[in-house]
Amino acid sequence: MSFLEYRLKSVPTGVSKIFYLNWALFLVVTAVAAIGWLMLYSIAGGDIETWAEPQMKRYAAGFVISLAVALTPIWFWRNMSLLGYGLTFVLLLIVEFFGTVGMGAQRWIDLGFMRLQPSELMKVTLVMMLAAYYDWLDDKRISRPLWVLVPVLLIIVPTVLVLMQPNLGTSVMLIIAGAAVMFAAGVSWWYFGAVALIGGAAVASVFFTRGTPWQFLHDYQYKRIDTFLDPSADPLGAGYNIIQAKIALGSGGWTGKGFMQGTQSRLNFLPEKHTDFIFTTLGEEFGFVGAFALLILYTLILVFLIWAAIQNKDRFSQLFIIGIAANFFLYIAVNLSMVMGMAPVVGVPLPFLSYGGSATLVLLLAFGLVQSAIVHRPR
Amino acid sequence: MTRTPLRPLARILDARAKGENPDLIERENLRQRHEVMRDKAIGRARFRLGILSVSFAVAFAAIGLRMGYMSSETPMEPKSEAGASSIQAMRSDIVDREGRILATNMLTNSLYVQTADMVDPPRVAHELAALFPELSEEDLLRRFTDGRSFLWIRKMLSPEQQQAVHDIGDPGLLFGPREMRLYPNGNLAAHILGGASFGDEGVASAELIGVAGIEKALDLRLRDPAQAGVPLELTIDLTLQATMEEVLGAGMTMMQAKGAAGILMNVQTGEILAMASLPDFDPNDRPSPIVAKGADPADSPLFNRAVQGVYELGSTFKIFAAAQAMELGLVNPDTQIDTSSLQIGKKRITEFDGHNYGPTKSVAEIMEVSSNIGTGHIALMIGAERQQAFLTSLGLLEASPVELIEAPGAKPLRPARWPDIVTVTASFGHGISSSPLNLAAAYASVANGGIRVSPTLLKRTEAMKGIRVISPSVSRDAVDMLRRVVVSGTATLADVPGYRVGGKTGTADKPRPGGGYYTDRVVNTFAGVFPTDNPQYVLIVTMDEPSGTSGGGEVRSTAGWTAVPVAGEMIKRMAPLMGMVPVVETPPENEITAVKN
Repeated sequence: MSFLEYRLKSVPTGVSKIFYLNWALFLVVTAVAAIGWLMLYSIAGGDIETWAEPQMKRYAAGFVISLAVALTPIWFWRNMSLLGYGLTFVLLLIVEFFGTVGMGAQRWIDLGFMRLQPSELMKVTLVMMLAAYYDWLDDKRISRPLWVLVPVLLIIVPTVLVLMQPNLGTSVMLIIAGAAVMFAAGVSWWYFGAVALIGGAAVASVFFTRGTPWQFLHDYQYKRIDTFLDPSADPLGAGYNIIQAKIALGSGGWTGKGFMQGTQSRLNFLPEKHTDFIFTTLGEEFGFVGAFALLILYTLILVFLIWAAIQNKDRFSQLFIIGIAANFFLYIAVNLSMVMGMAPVVGVPLPFLSYGGSATLVLLLAFGLVQSAIVHRPR
Repeated sequence: MTRTPLRPLARILDARAKGENPDLIERENLRQRHEVMRDKAIGRARFRLGILSVSFAVAFAAIGLRMGYMSSETPMEPKSEAGASSIQAMRSDIVDREGRILATNMLTNSLYVQTADMVDPPRVAHELAALFPELSEEDLLRRFTDGRSFLWIRKMLSPEQQQAVHDIGDPGLLFGPREMRLYPNGNLAAHILGGASFGDEGVASAELIGVAGIEKALDLRLRDPAQAGVPLELTIDLTLQATMEEVLGAGMTMMQAKGAAGILMNVQTGEILAMASLPDFDPNDRPSPIVAKGADPADSPLFNRAVQGVYELGSTFKIFAAAQAMELGLVNPDTQIDTSSLQIGKKRITEFDGHNYGPTKSVAEIMEVSSNIGTGHIALMIGAERQQAFLTSLGLLEASPVELIEAPGAKPLRPARWPDIVTVTASFGHGISSSPLNLAAAYASVANGGIRVSPTLLKRTEAMKGIRVISPSVSRDAVDMLRRVVVSGTATLADVPGYRVGGKTGTADKPRPGGGYYTDRVVNTFAGVFPTDNPQYVLIVTMDEPSGTSGGGEVRSTAGWTAVPVAGEMIKRMAPLMGMVPVVETPPENEITAVKN
């Protein structure tokens, strides 16, 4: 059901494509990013150079890339899917064997001007690959075991590499976002039921092997799970982040302490205050109102994505947008859950808010692709 | 490639007939079919996207709710152990079961000297020696001038003393703030509390550590910074404890006893409501534990007779033989037992004071008159192995598990071998020693319906769910026998009207250090249960070497004349404090008639 079978005469061409972009989506994304710059400015104690300025530069660069991607026809990107997936996979292998070790985890390739996390890139290329696969696959074969095995391997192999880095958060996101694409593509319900069952058993076995020499997770990961269950048991160790975050959010109350008035995050109580735990600063300075407003903006972005997926009759575009929506949702849900003590601390950034290059660039790339799908959709 | 015939073949034939190109029609059909399939796939994808969207929405709603919840919550800074890095004392208070303070902390000041800053050492030495009689002027002056730069003078100062030292006015005299342990009730519950003293001492603060009793046994709990504000609640009731100590002290003086001990325990939970040992001490000013050469450490006031005093508890043990025999089905309360004579090898068992209780008596009567021969016969029916197992199951042969640092050291003494003669003597509490606290727990186990009780000083809300040692009916029968002992047996002086006291007396000769027994030194014990119609409390009273008279001219050193009246007085005073209502016993008319016949 590929794009090439459609009549393309109604798809805009040339510079006029600019007018067919979903500018509202870009606007909301930029608004979220702007909140992030304000927070980074505040956390640095009113200094723009520490974090806010580099982040703004990255966003600007990412936005240009995003526009370029958006103006390139989506069928070109579809044809690049296998190549992109393959390249990202190779990068993951490189990181596994030659990567820079940062914070106890091997996650980055140092490119000189920036550090690239291939695992972040994999979140996008995996979804592309799966969408292209189902675009190519005959509808009748979707639920046949052999044809289900192929996308499962496409998901599992990079996930194992990411898990070995070790990066639990991204592993979980790869699996769930991949599964979301398969689900939307129409794979039979039975497979998902079976996987849920096996997954439950796997979780049980992870806990069962704890303390034995062949335990599945790192000690620090088990500790994170313990901390999730009872952060107060280790308030100065593993539970520190969560407890400080709770204090920050709680002290913010309904309307917050006001911009630049947060103490909990500014006084260095939170080591990850500018990255994964940036939400706590927002909660402390702008209270429930600010935090909820951010949630509304994120919801708006998700609604845009879901609407774009519903509207689009091109199968690749539709599945790809669904995958990106799932990824975006997971970023937010996992990050906020962990900051608010509802999930283990797994190291997932808050999209467009957290300080960091890889996630911002990859997300802008993904939104560029989504825009391309919107512009070049069959009408 | 074979071309699949297209379904609306009629159209193709039609087209051929009209001379049109059938391939075009075929392509159009293919396109239409593809569109149907595409629409189907897209429709399904939309439906499944709807499901995904709903799950997104649910998750976001949960996150939103959590935000609201956390914003409305008042955050609490967690307390952590590592946070209290200084030696600042943060010891928990100890309170009784009603929350009344038994031990707390008070700010005080230490006194130390920095000799380099001292202006006039001879005058300071002179004035300090005048203020504190335990300091000598020469010694102080020597220490001020022998070259050291720092020295401690006193660990604690009262506010008046501090003012007086301040008035000396020498810049070399310095005060260091610190917390001290204060026991506002003085001697009350001294053996339970034990005491505390300073561990690491600094100029700005000092560490308080437990040195005895529950202060030492639960030292880690009391010092845990996470529980600094949470007082340690004991089972002790301050008013009951005070009553017990007062009555016990009066009894000890009257009987001219060397020492005395008392325990009041809840039979269901094993909670110790009061526990006293005399002579006692003031934990605020704990006497030195060092005893003079050759003296018995058991004579020190620090010795806790209730827990550390391992005594032969005498005839109080007889009820265990009776209860076990009933539990095994060997006897019932009315079974007649030989009380004429009992000879084991060369040893002949005799009754106290050479009494003769006739040829046979029922089990209940044996308890009532406290017959050694009858109990011996019962014990022989039980046998050595079962007897040991039963006494062990009651906890009489092990150190008490109570939360006192002294408890594990007080191991009961038991014979190495257990021939028949030991079986017989153990049944009436000779040749085997245990502590009064162990006896209290064993009586509680017998009286509460047969569930093993372990004594505790920490509040327990629920009844013990331990091991069953005897059946409820045997427990009932045993308590009835104990009631009979008080009504018409050896413990009538404990029959406090209205509270239905049951119990058993015990008098044992004290063992001589070289072997054998003293003939004139005894330990008297009364083990009581009340009220007998629904046993709630066990009371143990022990008198160590009573030698006086209990009012009459004659020296009477059996428990019935020493420990029992003391126990009676305690119950009379304590029962109302526990909220017990006396029941006036008016036996029904016809029963009185029946007895007369």
